[in-house]
Amino acid sequence: MDALFYIFSIIAIFSALMVILVKNPLTSALYVVLCFFALAGFYILLNMQFLAAMQILVYAGAIIVLIVLVIMLLNLAKAKDTIKDFHQLSVGIISVLLLFVEIILYLNTAGETKPTGIYTNAVINKIGNTQIIGQFLFTKYVFPFEVASILLLVAVIGAYIFAKK
Amino acid sequence: MIFWLITTLIKILLVFGVLLLSAAYLTLLERKVAARIQNRLGPMEAGFHGILQPIADGIKLFFKEDIIPADANKILFILAPIIVVIPALTTFAVIPFGAPIRILGHIVPLQITNVNIGILFILALSSLGIYGVVIGGWASNSKYSLLGAIRTAAQMISYELSLALSIIGVIMIAGNLSLAQIVSSQAHMWFIVYQPVGFLIYLIASTAEMNRVPFDLGEAEGELVAGFHTEYSSMKFAFYFIGEYAQIVVNSAIITTLFLGGWEGPFLPSVLWFVLKVFVVTLIYIWFRWTYPRLRYDELMDLGWKILLPLALANIVVTGFIMILLGK
Repeated sequence: MDALFYIFSIIAIFSALMVILVKNPLTSALYVVLCFFALAGFYILLNMQFLAAMQILVYAGAIIVLIVLVIMLLNLAKAKDTIKDFHQLSVGIISVLLLFVEIILYLNTAGETKPTGIYTNAVINKIGNTQIIGQFLFTKYVFPFEVASILLLVAVIGAYIFAKK
Repeated sequence: MIFWLITTLIKILLVFGVLLLSAAYLTLLERKVAARIQNRLGPMEAGFHGILQPIADGIKLFFKEDIIPADANKILFILAPIIVVIPALTTFAVIPFGAPIRILGHIVPLQITNVNIGILFILALSSLGIYGVVIGGWASNSKYSLLGAIRTAAQMISYELSLALSIIGVIMIAGNLSLAQIVSSQAHMWFIVYQPVGFLIYLIASTAEMNRVPFDLGEAEGELVAGFHTEYSSMKFAFYFIGEYAQIVVNSAIITTLFLGGWEGPFLPSVLWFVLKVFVVTLIYIWFRWTYPRLRYDELMDLGWKILLPLALANIVVTGFIMILLGK
């Protein structure tokens, strides 16, 4: 299991790096897909098969397909000479620095934490993780769930109005 | 452990071999059925009634010159046909093709692996088939390929929704995502009886997902030469076709498992039942192709978004209401 974790980690980091290093936008979109596969691997190692399938189905199968379509329609074969202005550069540097600070803070404070709650691995495997996620979505987390669905509905209506114009 | 490893390996080899072989012979079946529908004989020269035709075709394609266009993106151009074949072949890993059998005192399920999210696994893989088409069309650097790829992609996105939603009814009745469980809960009654609308929507949407006539706008010969695989030749071209025909077998197997009771059936051995049902569904797909003319693009989108999608949603609501009324 440990070996698998390291294999997935290497794939994830490598593909994430390649996303920003390759010049061709379509190739970098495909590296995002590879990265999502590695993440799905992590979910499976965590016994969350449902999340793994959703990761592939929603992200790799739908969202990146839309991105690929946009790249194809705009015919962005090669990224044009990127404009390096001061504004962009400063935002980039600040966000990278913030990320590093976050990582250091996390590594310092987080010790070995034990999982809490009644849902241990054995219980999850017995009931099935799809059932448990469904139960939580429709009872404890029903409000955030509905808010998220309204957000998506707003996006759909917005897209429709823009398309009509 | 060793026993498990050996049986699993044998099962994988068996499924792989049978799937590839049936994909090859499906080309012959298609040509024979087409010939019968058009009052012809079809291939007759190679072997008895053309029985060796797929092998002759394979050898021919193997020895053809392999052309990569000068301006093509080489890596993606080679990668695309491979991406088409992989999801088609991997999907079969979760489909149960027979009742569990006993060998040397061990119970061996006739299914490569029983994932507890079997249906989602299938949906996830089938949503990836689009990449092979899109990348192939784009990497060819030809306008016909690109147009075909964009058309196909738009079509596959539209029909994927109805495809996924049409299965929800089955999941609700079975109460499980594992395919082995779904088959065993059809022991008394096939789900096609409870889910006739779901079955029809899946049949139509899966035909569209496979880009077969009447939904083959991505490779409409009259306007796009050959669509996304215009620039492909030799074995790369063959890979697209292996992918397409393997997908027909896989989709027939999925329909058999979800709606037609899988391997359940009286008298005959279970594997034979499974093969028989898959064969019948395959014939329906082929029959579609040689019966209907191609849809116009706006008709295609109307059918997907205005008819199939609302029907699939209504099917879920109605199924839910009936289940509550019956107190299941």
